[in-house]
Amino acid sequence: MEQWGDMSPKQLEDMYDAVIVGAGAAGLSAALGLLRSPETRQMRGNGIDPKILVISKLQPLRSHTGSAEGGIAASLGNIEADDWHWHYYDTVKGGDWLVDQDAAQLLAEYAPETVINLERGGVAFSRTDDGHIAQRRFGGHTREFGGAPVRRAAYAADRIGHQILHALWQQCVAAGVAFAEEWYVTDLVLTDDGSRAAGVVAFDTHAGKVHAVKARNVLFATGGAGRLFHTTSNSWDLTGDGMALALAAGLQLEDAEFVQFHPTGLAHTGILLSEAARAEGGVLRNADGEAFMERYAPGHADLAARDVVSRSIMAEIDAGRGVADPKDPDGRRDCVWLDMTGIDPDHMRAVLPQVVETIEKYADIDPSKDFVPIKPTAHYTMGGIPITVDGEVYRWNAGDAETDGTDGATGSRGVVDGLFAAGECSCVSVHGANRLGGNSLLDACLFGTRAGRALAARVAAQPVDDPMAVDDPDVQEIDDAIAAAADAASDARENELKDLLTPRADAADDVDDVDGTTAADETDDNPYRLMADLGQVMERAAAVRCDAAGLEAALRTIDERLAPRAEALVAHDKTAAFNQEVTAIWEVRHLIGLARVVLAASDARHESRGSLKRNDFPERDDERFLAHSMTDASGRVAWQPVHIVDIPPKKREY
Amino acid sequence: MTNSNVTTVTLKVNRFTPRPERERDRARGGSPFARTRKSSPFGGKSDAPARRRPRGRQWVQEYTIPARPEDTVLDCLLAIKRTVDPTLAFRYSCGHGMCGSDAVAINGTPNLLCTATLKDWVKPESGMPVLDDDGFRRTGDDAADADGAKGSALPESGSLGVIELGPLPGFPVERDLIADIDPMLDQIRKLKPYLEADGVLATTHEGKVDVFEYLQHPDELAKYEQLSNCIACGVCEGSCPVFAGGDAFIGPAALIWASRFVNDSRDTITMDRLDAIDTEDGVAACQSVRACTRQCPRGIDVGEEMWQIVAKVRER
Repeated sequence: MEQWGDMSPKQLEDMYDAVIVGAGAAGLSAALGLLRSPETRQMRGNGIDPKILVISKLQPLRSHTGSAEGGIAASLGNIEADDWHWHYYDTVKGGDWLVDQDAAQLLAEYAPETVINLERGGVAFSRTDDGHIAQRRFGGHTREFGGAPVRRAAYAADRIGHQILHALWQQCVAAGVAFAEEWYVTDLVLTDDGSRAAGVVAFDTHAGKVHAVKARNVLFATGGAGRLFHTTSNSWDLTGDGMALALAAGLQLEDAEFVQFHPTGLAHTGILLSEAARAEGGVLRNADGEAFMERYAPGHADLAARDVVSRSIMAEIDAGRGVADPKDPDGRRDCVWLDMTGIDPDHMRAVLPQVVETIEKYADIDPSKDFVPIKPTAHYTMGGIPITVDGEVYRWNAGDAETDGTDGATGSRGVVDGLFAAGECSCVSVHGANRLGGNSLLDACLFGTRAGRALAARVAAQPVDDPMAVDDPDVQEIDDAIAAAADAASDARENELKDLLTPRADAADDVDDVDGTTAADETDDNPYRLMADLGQVMERAAAVRCDAAGLEAALRTIDERLAPRAEALVAHDKTAAFNQEVTAIWEVRHLIGLARVVLAASDARHESRGSLKRNDFPERDDERFLAHSMTDASGRVAWQPVHIVDIPPKKREY
Repeated sequence: MTNSNVTTVTLKVNRFTPRPERERDRARGGSPFARTRKSSPFGGKSDAPARRRPRGRQWVQEYTIPARPEDTVLDCLLAIKRTVDPTLAFRYSCGHGMCGSDAVAINGTPNLLCTATLKDWVKPESGMPVLDDDGFRRTGDDAADADGAKGSALPESGSLGVIELGPLPGFPVERDLIADIDPMLDQIRKLKPYLEADGVLATTHEGKVDVFEYLQHPDELAKYEQLSNCIACGVCEGSCPVFAGGDAFIGPAALIWASRFVNDSRDTITMDRLDAIDTEDGVAACQSVRACTRQCPRGIDVGEEMWQIVAKVRER
């Protein structure tokens, strides 16, 4: 312990029962689900302690879960009558029927249990006068299947994510969970035949060393990929690592084309300004001062659904009626105004303290006097690593079906043994084409816990420390395969690290030949600059709306310019310890791999649904695309039918 | 863009690159960062600063970049990474004051990179470094000038001034602006930072369970709600003259966390919690300097809370 501190393992185990990657709501819930399961209790009763390690590229308390503000949805009915069937219906409708209804049923039915367990774990929920968990309204949550709004979002002032993250970490401290903090996972390792998880390769950023972490079970809970886009509400760390690693391991991503944009990001910072700003009377205006939302959504105007408002803003900008961010007056006119001057200043401070503080702090504007520049901001990836309702990662085998979307009726899920995922990096498909507010924390906690329990069953069936299994040749054979695969991947990564830390004199020249841009830009490239350039390319092509020509151009730019630059990157300093540039090089490579898949999946879906707006295919097309896209690293797309249980598709109207 | 209305800022960054590992291990010998010692902050520790002095290369690097008065220091450092020097190391994540990653010393004062704006922190150019070699802040005339600059009109072009950056005081530096804050997290973990409730559920008068969550009145919530907003950034610890690296004094952050549970009506081990901090390195080491309050990014009056928890310890 003295040598490493408590936040890194003193010594890695030769073999882990389970390695969990990511320590936000999903990863921590999985760890607790595993340790609190009856299987683990029984194992411990037999004197066998499961060997678990949680690896995170951040100290767990820094995870992005902590930034969630609004609430976690559950039909507790603490304020007014509610029913989980109503929540289920709202989730399916909100997702524009691209939701697997069996998964959404579980989400809604076990939401109250999930929230109550969080409360019992210490979350400081806001309370009703009689001491129950307080609940508030949230967009799209209704009573009686699409009726009046219902108070379903359990909240803790405007800090629910912080509260949940801290309470889960606290419970993990109580449970004695072992963490490897500020370790960056560079590889998901499968056995050679791709049938089974074998562990991960991880870069200990403190020591600057690469480790093979061998494990019979692996769970990914690495969060979203908002950093694909220049303007995002996501933290700098949400670089889609888990999704990219799954692709690199030969797996597919489900529904990668669905990225939710929150309409009111604070101009180029992307920091969220809550919907409450509009609920309290804020009005969106274009460059001419017109309150344009009434034109797009008569009757609803500024309080229309998130995806509708984001699309309307983008249409104004595309029509040349946008404004420049005052912080960048000569930049693109890619914002519109949020006019809050009609709200009484005292009332504004009383009911929108966080909004006012953010505007004052980060835009240096007094919202009671001046218009605030806003812009849709990349907020949530609905798609991700495909999982079953127990968190098992699977491959979609399309069978004989055509892969052009006209026939997806046949096919099967092939589970990868011992590989699990949970949270935003995964797709159990409860969010479909558009996530409802309050459902993301719920998804992470609920399906994280379920995945943890499923892990426990696998671990208990064959624990590493099982004294009876020492001479079992079958077990030994599997462990040997795991070790061989993990060591090989680790060796390869170690060699790459050496290269990255050895400055190459000719690197810049190579890139110059491929790239067409100015030499001065390219002679000293770095991953931070490349990430910014990628964000601009993605934003132009795929933010909020897209069409075939734009998607194709972006793919070409990535293949011909950005990807070669990414391959040519090396670190500018050779000291490995705390060398953030090395991590950033891997991050930007991950983002580029993921960007290709997002673009390919967007290109393959010839319809508009939920968050995906194709200007060249403006209507939803249930005949051909009531199906999940399943896209691999090469951009090949297969289609998996949506699970419809008892809510047949109809037009999504609010 | 014309050059006439471009403003710049100069960041003077205290940088540090650790020695390669093999060399360092030999130098470290018997773990200089051991945290198991139990001793008073005042006795027999004259070697402490020397012991913690990092091994590696240290220098001050100046970066002058285009910047606007309303930019945050984090904006500037990210611009430096992108355009000037990708090797500069500093922690950052959410960028809006919630994750607690990016506490550093700004002009010698602990604060978060992402909430500190240039207009609040720039000082006029001057030859004198803010931090001397031992990390102490120069006071007196320089500081008075800096205060005077606040609120005065910033230039529309030319240099806005200088900001000096160093790692969070009170903790060992690991690289550039990255400090080893594990001592703080270890101390938080020592004090059972989790709810210990009784597991008893509310029942109807027939004895049936009617509510599954623990009930808590809004007034009871108000007693600890703000304490539960602590983001464990370490700003209070870096401000505390007694804390100094967590070798002894358990520190304001761990005490805030203890107080958070002591004040939670659902928690049942209040007496154990008070016993655990009633030690010479616990509440007794707090000297009520209250420097911990001034820069708390969550607005917690840390000094006042220290006072309250000391009172609770004494009254039990």
